[in-house]
Amino acid sequence: MQRGAVGCIWLYALASVLLPLGLFGLHALGPRWFFPALLPDSLSLEPLLALIGNPRTQAALGLSAQVALLVTGLAVLIGYPAARALTFAPLVGRGVILAVLFLPTVIPPIAIGIGLNSLMLQLGLAGTLIGVCIVHLIPVLPYVILTLSSMLSRYDRHYEEQAQVLGAGAWQVWWLVTLPMSLPALAVAALFAFLISWSEYLFTALIGGGRVITLPVLLFALVAGGNPTTLAGVALLIVAVPMLAILLASRLLGGGPQVVGVR
Amino acid sequence: MTTLTMHNLTLRYPRQATATLADLSLAVASGELVVLLGTSGSGKSTLLRLIAGLLEPTAGDIRFDGQSVRALPAHRREAVLMFQKAYLFPFLSVADNIRFGLRVRGVAREQQRIAVQQMLALVELEGLECRFPAQLSGGQQQRVALARALVTQPRVLLLDEPFSSLDTSVRRSLQAAVRRIQRETGVTTVLVTHDLEEALSMADRVALLLDGRIAAYGTPQQVYTRPPTLAAARFLGITTFVAGTLHGCQLTTAAGVWVLGAASACAPAEPPRPAVVAIRPEQITLHPTRPADLPNCVLGQVQEQSYRGDVIEYLLKVAGLPEAVRVRRPTSDAPDPIGPEVWLHLPPAALWEVRAG
Amino acid sequence: MLAPALVIVGGLFGASLWYSVLKSLGYLPFIGQFQITLEAYRNLLPGSGTPASREFLPALGFTLWVSGAATLLAAAGALGVVVVGLGRTRAPHAPRGIVPLLNLTLAFPHLVWAVAIALLLAQSGVLARVLFQLGLIATPADFPVLIRDPYGIGIIISYTTKLIPFLLLMLLATLHAQTDDYAAAAATLGASRWQTLRYVTLPLVLPALTAGMLLGFAFVFGAYEVPALLGVQFPRMLAVLALDFFRNADLRSRAEGMAISVLTGAIVLLVAAVAYALTARRTAGHG
Repeated sequence: MQRGAVGCIWLYALASVLLPLGLFGLHALGPRWFFPALLPDSLSLEPLLALIGNPRTQAALGLSAQVALLVTGLAVLIGYPAARALTFAPLVGRGVILAVLFLPTVIPPIAIGIGLNSLMLQLGLAGTLIGVCIVHLIPVLPYVILTLSSMLSRYDRHYEEQAQVLGAGAWQVWWLVTLPMSLPALAVAALFAFLISWSEYLFTALIGGGRVITLPVLLFALVAGGNPTTLAGVALLIVAVPMLAILLASRLLGGGPQVVGVR
Repeated sequence: MTTLTMHNLTLRYPRQATATLADLSLAVASGELVVLLGTSGSGKSTLLRLIAGLLEPTAGDIRFDGQSVRALPAHRREAVLMFQKAYLFPFLSVADNIRFGLRVRGVAREQQRIAVQQMLALVELEGLECRFPAQLSGGQQQRVALARALVTQPRVLLLDEPFSSLDTSVRRSLQAAVRRIQRETGVTTVLVTHDLEEALSMADRVALLLDGRIAAYGTPQQVYTRPPTLAAARFLGITTFVAGTLHGCQLTTAAGVWVLGAASACAPAEPPRPAVVAIRPEQITLHPTRPADLPNCVLGQVQEQSYRGDVIEYLLKVAGLPEAVRVRRPTSDAPDPIGPEVWLHLPPAALWEVRAG
Repeated sequence: MLAPALVIVGGLFGASLWYSVLKSLGYLPFIGQFQITLEAYRNLLPGSGTPASREFLPALGFTLWVSGAATLLAAAGALGVVVVGLGRTRAPHAPRGIVPLLNLTLAFPHLVWAVAIALLLAQSGVLARVLFQLGLIATPADFPVLIRDPYGIGIIISYTTKLIPFLLLMLLATLHAQTDDYAAAAATLGASRWQTLRYVTLPLVLPALTAGMLLGFAFVFGAYEVPALLGVQFPRMLAVLALDFFRNADLRSRAEGMAISVLTGAIVLLVAAVAYALTARRTAGHG
């Protein structure tokens, strides 16, 4: 492999991560940074600390975390048995089920978001945390199930049979073999679930109805005000958590290229 | 010590024309090592899964010491199956893998520890208890799998081609180890393989499984030298079959009249009937001139000759026989060079009748 | 075991789709309107004289332009990176560490990415400052309008730059999954490095690239946040138009908003079906 060629890809990948981070960082730490200065006069942590200390930001951060964690938990709990059934059970109408699961990944949120809004209003779930979580499951679950079933299909069930003939009952097989063997897949699925839920804007805005203000909803609202320092600060908050999660996950899992999706 | 018997076992999948296993009966004596030999798709792995309880037979029974185990689920059968791959749990250390069977049975930890040490000594892997499967070679992994299988002192040990993914030298040493450990522990064992040499060298008895049926069952010598059917004989490398009319000990063929078997075994009272006899290629002897005092001699034209190291193989055309006769002679006593024509002697005791099928 | 997942995904999804379609057909029981009518859809057509008719076709054209341009540019970019980065090598495998780095871009939601693009490309943004320091512009007004511009440049740049890592990951995954070393085979047959790229590597990744492009196109076509942030009032992209109409107090507008959202969904579904058919044909050909 030629040095220059590899350097080219590296440069591109690095730039696409570091450039926005740097942009946000300079804006968030340099409140007095006006045209035509190339760099802020001075950098200080103060505006960022003030932003984090702000009860509105804290509320949004808390809500975002609650929603994303709840959605992640629910998605894994519901998605894992579904993925197992999809991968291993002899199913009638497998194609139809896959199509039903695949549709929400391509149909744009706007096409169902408005109808969803009416539906959740009728169910009395509009504007509630639970309502937002349930709605997040629509884009999240398909990704979780498809990821899990593609990873499970590479999983050799002989391990379970081996445990069985060694004397393990159904629960012991599940607890001592199946679960530990599925952990990497579950971790990846949970990461995807968290990422999608944490980044979701439109569904939250439509179903939350101004009452469930997560970080993306807050950011969207702040754009109208146009204060770059606050915008950059909130953007950094939104990006920091999933970045840590992704870094941690790739440390733990390694492996080849994984395509998460357009979202 | 457990005897293992199968009674009229049948396994048939719903949308399948022929049964995977058809009315199969087999008895394995206590402490015996029986090798199930067969081609891939002959149903031999399926039979192991049935014995282990991973599959339900359509009909028939499996008994340990005369007691049916059909109602017992796999984890209560005490029949441990070892697969082609070791399937060591990758997240457990060697010691934890070995004690798995004791752990799920709730055996006390101290006892587990002692048993693990005994097993490690048995498979000659002392000192590796803290390693993880990924840090072991293929042969070591299979040894750990064997230790893990034996730690619970199963009634029956089932081995599904456990050596086939290993290099030749590792395979040899593991075969020897398995044979030694099986003798030491006296566990009733069924081993599945498609490798003829492995079957002959390891088995107390060999069962030849063809198309879901037992085609031959006996000691390695019996099965190798006297396969009872045409298909079994073909599987065991026999290519010379001669059809003729059998009357008592005399077989009238297109190549002449031959004498068959030991004279005492003949039943001259029977009326003549059509029959097919077979002979192993290494039992035919070659002579430059017609041996005066020997029966069953025919003249052959040499078609091909190939050097195989320990043996030389000849293809000889014999007048009256539709197919060329294959002959293997040890290199030390093979006529080399060979003339264009040579006399073949087929010893009466080496000829036996094979049934069709 | 599938039931809970199907109830949530299929049930909620189906019910809301049903709701959207019903409402777009003017079925509004709470104002006593039970009749099914295609009025909302008719109102979108030119010549019906409604505000919606003046907006719909330009919005459709604008949406097609933005999603088409963003997808093509992103595909060209991703291919370019693969060609420049891997073209000189025999084995087209991604260098270590690149994949986690590309995955990191997933941490940026589209919304956040758009904010970054705005900070970079606004008339007083960082790029304008660089040009000023180089003496190329004198005031912010000299810098071209790229954010909230009528041509959707800002939106296109935002989506293009976000789609490139996605397509790149897809291409690398395809190349990575290639266990047979076709490139080496081609080399032994006498192909030069560039011939190998042209006749072996490109045809190998093309189906994945096509599928990825169609998915990207479908995504941008129905997207809301980025055009809402970086777009202008006229023309608006379909999703923005749909939601703006839906939020209008006028009930007739609501039905029209619903109709626009339903149409957007239908177009996306069509594109997705084409993408699916393409991949299905390919896998069938190999099966």
